[in-house]
Amino acid sequence: MKSLQKSAASIKEKHSIQKAYLFLILIGLPLGLLILSLTLGRYQIGPIDVLKVILSPIFPSIAEGIPDIAKQLIFHIRLPRILAALLIGASYGATGTAFQAIFKNPLVDSNILGVTSGAGFGAALALLFLGDPWLVQVSAFVFGLVAVFLSFFGSRLYRTSPLLILTLMGILVGSFFGSLTSLLKYAADPLDSLPAITFWLLGSLTGITWQNLMPLIILTIFGLIYLWTIRWRLNILSLGDAEASALGVDPTRMKLGIILFSTLMTAVAVSVSGVIGWVGLVIPHAGRLIVGPEHKRLLPVSISFGAAFLMIIDDLARTLLPGEIPLGVLTGLIGVPILVLLMRRSRTGW
Amino acid sequence: MNKFKYSIILLVIISSLVITACATGDLETPNMEITVSDYEAPSELETKEPIGDQSRFLIKADPELMEPVTVLYEAFFNGKSPIFVQSDPDLLVEPPGEYENFYDELPAVFLTDGAMYPKNVSEELEAFIQFAVSTDGQQTLIKAGLLPESIELTDQAGNTVSLNLPIRDVLSAYGPVTAMIYSVDAEDRLVSASYLGARDPLGSSVMEKMDSRFPGIQGDESFSQSEFNIEEAAMLEPDLIIGNARSGWLDTVAALDIPVFLFDAETPKALKEAVLLTGQIFGPHSTAQAEAWVRYYESIVGTIEEKMAEIPIEDRVKVLFTGTEPLRVASGDMFQSYIIESAGGISASSELEGYWNNINLEQVVIWNPDVIIVPPYGGASVEAITESQEWQILDAVKDGKVYRMPKLVAPWDTPAPDAVLGIIWMAQQLYPERIDLDCSTEAEFFYNTFFDYEIMDEELAKICSIN
Repeated sequence: MKSLQKSAASIKEKHSIQKAYLFLILIGLPLGLLILSLTLGRYQIGPIDVLKVILSPIFPSIAEGIPDIAKQLIFHIRLPRILAALLIGASYGATGTAFQAIFKNPLVDSNILGVTSGAGFGAALALLFLGDPWLVQVSAFVFGLVAVFLSFFGSRLYRTSPLLILTLMGILVGSFFGSLTSLLKYAADPLDSLPAITFWLLGSLTGITWQNLMPLIILTIFGLIYLWTIRWRLNILSLGDAEASALGVDPTRMKLGIILFSTLMTAVAVSVSGVIGWVGLVIPHAGRLIVGPEHKRLLPVSISFGAAFLMIIDDLARTLLPGEIPLGVLTGLIGVPILVLLMRRSRTGW
Repeated sequence: MNKFKYSIILLVIISSLVITACATGDLETPNMEITVSDYEAPSELETKEPIGDQSRFLIKADPELMEPVTVLYEAFFNGKSPIFVQSDPDLLVEPPGEYENFYDELPAVFLTDGAMYPKNVSEELEAFIQFAVSTDGQQTLIKAGLLPESIELTDQAGNTVSLNLPIRDVLSAYGPVTAMIYSVDAEDRLVSASYLGARDPLGSSVMEKMDSRFPGIQGDESFSQSEFNIEEAAMLEPDLIIGNARSGWLDTVAALDIPVFLFDAETPKALKEAVLLTGQIFGPHSTAQAEAWVRYYESIVGTIEEKMAEIPIEDRVKVLFTGTEPLRVASGDMFQSYIIESAGGISASSELEGYWNNINLEQVVIWNPDVIIVPPYGGASVEAITESQEWQILDAVKDGKVYRMPKLVAPWDTPAPDAVLGIIWMAQQLYPERIDLDCSTEAEFFYNTFFDYEIMDEELAKICSIN
C-alpha cells in the first residue's frame, strides 16, 4: 500500500517535471522564433545589433551607433508584423482546436461558419469602393461577423440535429458570400482594384502597422484567455451533448460562448491578414500527434505551434523574394503536405 | 490714355484689313496668273452657294500630286476641275518634307504621299480638306487606283491581317489604342470603344469637349481587355476589331468573321510601332499623323538623352513608381520603368518582373529611392504615403519628394500617345535645373497637334503643377 502511494507520488512528480519541460518548450518556441524573426529581413541588420535595438528601450545607451533606420525598421515594420503573425497563428491554432472539439469533426476549423468568406466579401467591397486600408479592415471584420450571424441564426430555423444544420448553413453562407465576392471581382477594374482584391484574398501581412494591430492584440488576447480557461470543458463537449449535460455542463451555452469568441478572433485575424487557410486545420492535428487528444494540453500546444508555424511562413513570405509571396499560398503549399504526412503517421485518436 | 492708343491701333488694323479685302477683290480681273477663268474671289464665297458649279480656290501642287488632288476635287465639286496656279495659292500640296522642328509649321492634313498646307482658310477649302482626309476621300482615291484596295499588316501578336480599305467602322476594345486612334485623327471611325482614363471627372469632361459623340460611343461595359460582348459587336458590324494581344476573348471573337488586329505595346519601341500601325490602318493622313507623333516622341527623348549624357549614372535620380496601393510597385517589365529611364532616372524596382508586384516596406528601404511617383488612377494618393507614420523613414518622404503622375484623359504613365508628356513631366521633376522642357508648353502643343484639343488654362494648371 505504502509502496503504491510512493510510486503514485513519483509518477506525479515525473509528470510535473514533464509538464514543466513542455511548458518551457511551448513558451520558448514562439518567443525564440519571435526574436529570430526580428533578425530576418531583406534589409541586413546583424543579429547582435537587433538584440541591442530590442533592449534599447530599457538600456538606451546600448544601441548607440546603430543607424536610426535600423531601429525604425525593427520597431515599426518588423515587430508589428511578426507580432501579427504570432497572434494570428495562435488564434487559428486555438480556434481550430475548439471548433474541432465542438463539431466533433477533425476536418473543420473556425472558417466553417463562413467567417472568412464574409470577411473576404467585406474586404473586396471596401477595396472596390473605398480603398482606405483601415476601412477595408473594418469592413472585413463586420462582414465576417455578419456571415457567422447568418449561419448561426439560419440554423435556428430548424430544430433537428443542430450541429449538422449549423455546418450546412455555414457552408451555404460561405458559398453565398464567395459568389458575392466573385461578382465584385468580375465588376472590378482588372488594372486596378482586381489585383488588390486577389492579393487580399491570398493573405498578406505586408501593410501592417501598429494601428491595424491594436484590435488584433486586444481581441486575440481576450479570446485566448477565454479558451484557455474553458479548455478542459472541450473534452466534455467533444463527448456529445447528452454526456456533457450529465456532467453538469450546459452544452448549448458553452458552444455559443466558444463560437462567439472564436468568431471574433477569426474575424479580426482575417480582417488584418486576409485569407490564410490551413493553419487552423493542420496545427491541432500536429498537436494531437505530440500530446494526444486531451484538450487541457492540446490547446496550449496548438496555440504555441500555430504561432510558430505562421511566424516561419511569414518569414519566408517576406524574405525569399524582393516581391511578397502571398501567405495563403505558402500555408497551403507547406501545410497540406504536413497534414497528409500526419494523417498517415498518426496513431492517436481524434 | 492707353485705351485711346489701343483704339487707334485697332482702327488702323481694321482699315488695313478692309483695304486688303478690297484689293483681293480686284484679283477677279483675268490678267492674273489664273489659268482657268471661272475662278471667284474668296470674299464672294461667303454666301453659301450650292457646291459644284464653280471652282472655289487656287491650288499649287507638286506635279506628281496633281492627279490625286484633281480626283478629289472633281469628286467633291461634282466634276469641276481644280485650278492650279504657280503662285499665291490658297492651298499648297507638296511631298512631305523633313520636319526638323516640330513647333514651326505642321501641315494640316496629308493625302497619298503629299502634304496639304492651307494658306487662305475659307469654309469651302476647309470642307474640301475634310473630304480629302475622310473615308469618302480615301474611297475616291482607291477608286481612281491611287491608293490600294487592301493592305496586309502584321499586328503585334505576329498575325498577318488583311484589311479592305477604307476602314470605315472600327471597334476598339483596348483603351490605349483608342487614344492612338484619336491622335491619328481617326476618331470619327470609332463605332464603340473602350477608353483609358475617361471615367474620372477630368477625363470625361475633356472627352465630351474633344468628341461630340462621347460618351455615346463609350463601350467599356461591353468591350475591354477582359470582356467582349459578341452579340453587340455583331450588331455594330465593324470593319475591324482592335484588341490587346493578351485579351481573354480572342478565341470567341473569331466566330464573327471580322478582322481582328491585336496590339501589345509595353515598351517604347512597341509603342512607336503601335502608333504607326494605327496610322497605317486608317490611311495616308493617319499614317502621317502617326509619323509626326513618332518624330515628336523621338525628339523629346533625344533632347533629354543629350542633357543626361553629362550626368554620370551614379548621380542620376532613383525613382520608385508605386501602384494603386503604396506597397504595390511597377516591375522592370512595365511601361512605367521605361518612362523613368527615358526621363533620365533609374527605376528602383527594375529587378522585379511581371506586372504590379506586392512588396514590403523593408524592400523600399533597401532600394532607398530619391523620388516616389504615384499613378493618377485607382484612388492612389500622395497622402497615403506622406501621411503614413511608417513611410517617414524614407528620405524621399522626408524630403517631400512624392509626386503624382498627371493625366488629362489617358494617364501619362500608360502606353498611350500621352506617355511622351509623362516623360517630359518626369524629367522636369527629376532634373528641374537641367531639363528646360516645360510641361505646360508641351502639353498645350501636344493636345493641340495630336488631339485637336485646345487645352484650357485651368486644366493645364491642374495637370502641370507639382501635385
